[in-house]
Amino acid sequence: MAGEMTYEQKVAEFKARIDAGDKIEGGDWMPDEYRQAALKFIEMHANSEVMGALPEGTWIPRAPTLKRKLSLTAKVQDEVGHGQILYRVAEDLGKTREQMFDDLVNGRTKFHNVFHYPADTWGDVAYIGWLIDGAALVNQKALLDASYMPYVRAMRRICPEESLHLRHGEELVLELVSGTPEQRELFQDAVNRWWQPTMHFFGPPSKKKDMLLYWGIKTRTNESLRQEFFSTYVPKLWDLGISVPDDRLAWNEEKGEWDWSEPDWDEFWKVVRGDGPMTHVRLSKRKAVWDTHAWIREVFAGIPDAA
Amino acid sequence: MPVWEVLGKRKAGDEFELVGGIKAPDVEMALVLARETHFRHKEGVGYAVRRRGDHELHVGSYGGDVLGGVTDHSYRRQEAYTGVGARQKRISAEFAKRGVTIDRPRPPVRTGG
Repeated sequence: MAGEMTYEQKVAEFKARIDAGDKIEGGDWMPDEYRQAALKFIEMHANSEVMGALPEGTWIPRAPTLKRKLSLTAKVQDEVGHGQILYRVAEDLGKTREQMFDDLVNGRTKFHNVFHYPADTWGDVAYIGWLIDGAALVNQKALLDASYMPYVRAMRRICPEESLHLRHGEELVLELVSGTPEQRELFQDAVNRWWQPTMHFFGPPSKKKDMLLYWGIKTRTNESLRQEFFSTYVPKLWDLGISVPDDRLAWNEEKGEWDWSEPDWDEFWKVVRGDGPMTHVRLSKRKAVWDTHAWIREVFAGIPDAA
Repeated sequence: MPVWEVLGKRKAGDEFELVGGIKAPDVEMALVLARETHFRHKEGVGYAVRRRGDHELHVGSYGGDVLGGVTDHSYRRQEAYTGVGARQKRISAEFAKRGVTIDRPRPPVRTGG
């Protein structure tokens, strides 16, 4: 009987469920360490979606055509929508949306490293749309088999939209690389600046005992995801005559994997600790809206429950 | 604020399936938020919400013909990008002829993406 089991026995039974491929629902019993690991991971994902809307959002007024403006607006709306969906999933793990957002805007929790960098040119918008969303999709597709079922449902909602964003980005890239020399250079310059943050995006090589992998909240190591990214996108970049700023990057037939240069991990840690080039600007934007719009949340929460 | 489960039907004849959740003060707002957060891209032909802990299903009034919008929102969907993959192949082939491509060791079989 579950009620007569010790905590350790319940944890062992729970772990056996995960190892057997069973899915965990929000109302199921779960060990504290699972709940905390899942909450931290999903909260960070939600934060990243909301913060990730900002670099591209600033380009909506400057999009070169109405078509691009519409598609970029829709993409930014999608990213914020992903944040909403993910905060809802995270809330059921024991932290309110208000607390998560307050922690985010006050710098107490993290968001993905790539959203701490400036998007200076339209080439950056193309890069983000194709290769940052491409990197995110490599990660997120792996999460479709995660152990926490509410998160899997969110991924089923999010992945098709990320695939759409990828096409949007790829189309932007194709237009630039097949355009004028200046347009090609715009994209090449974006690749040169964004490559290291993209390598950072997958994180350092996973630890031997990564708790997220242990609990099935993540299903693949950082390194295997980065390798998949190389295989999917680097040949395409090379086919378009676009180089990447890593002289060592090449497929190693003997090892059956890509050789690549380790990026500057000190830079990575500096950024994820909240000291990136745009961290403070972007957080202050979100904080200003959070603070000045508090009354809207209060009005909304005060609507009498008619259900 | 109450939590509402969001359910959807991908195509006519399907049973309602749990697709996510939202928080809303009442059923009217729950249906609006469910529609906007989960069916904006024409993901289904029907939607409903159920207050967590209740059995009663509240079915949304938008049918498959209007769910996801009735004006041209194709830029929100894959269909707007049909042919991008083929264009990428065409441009790559053209660049190969012009010697623009970068020839470096790569995996023998390319994966999609």
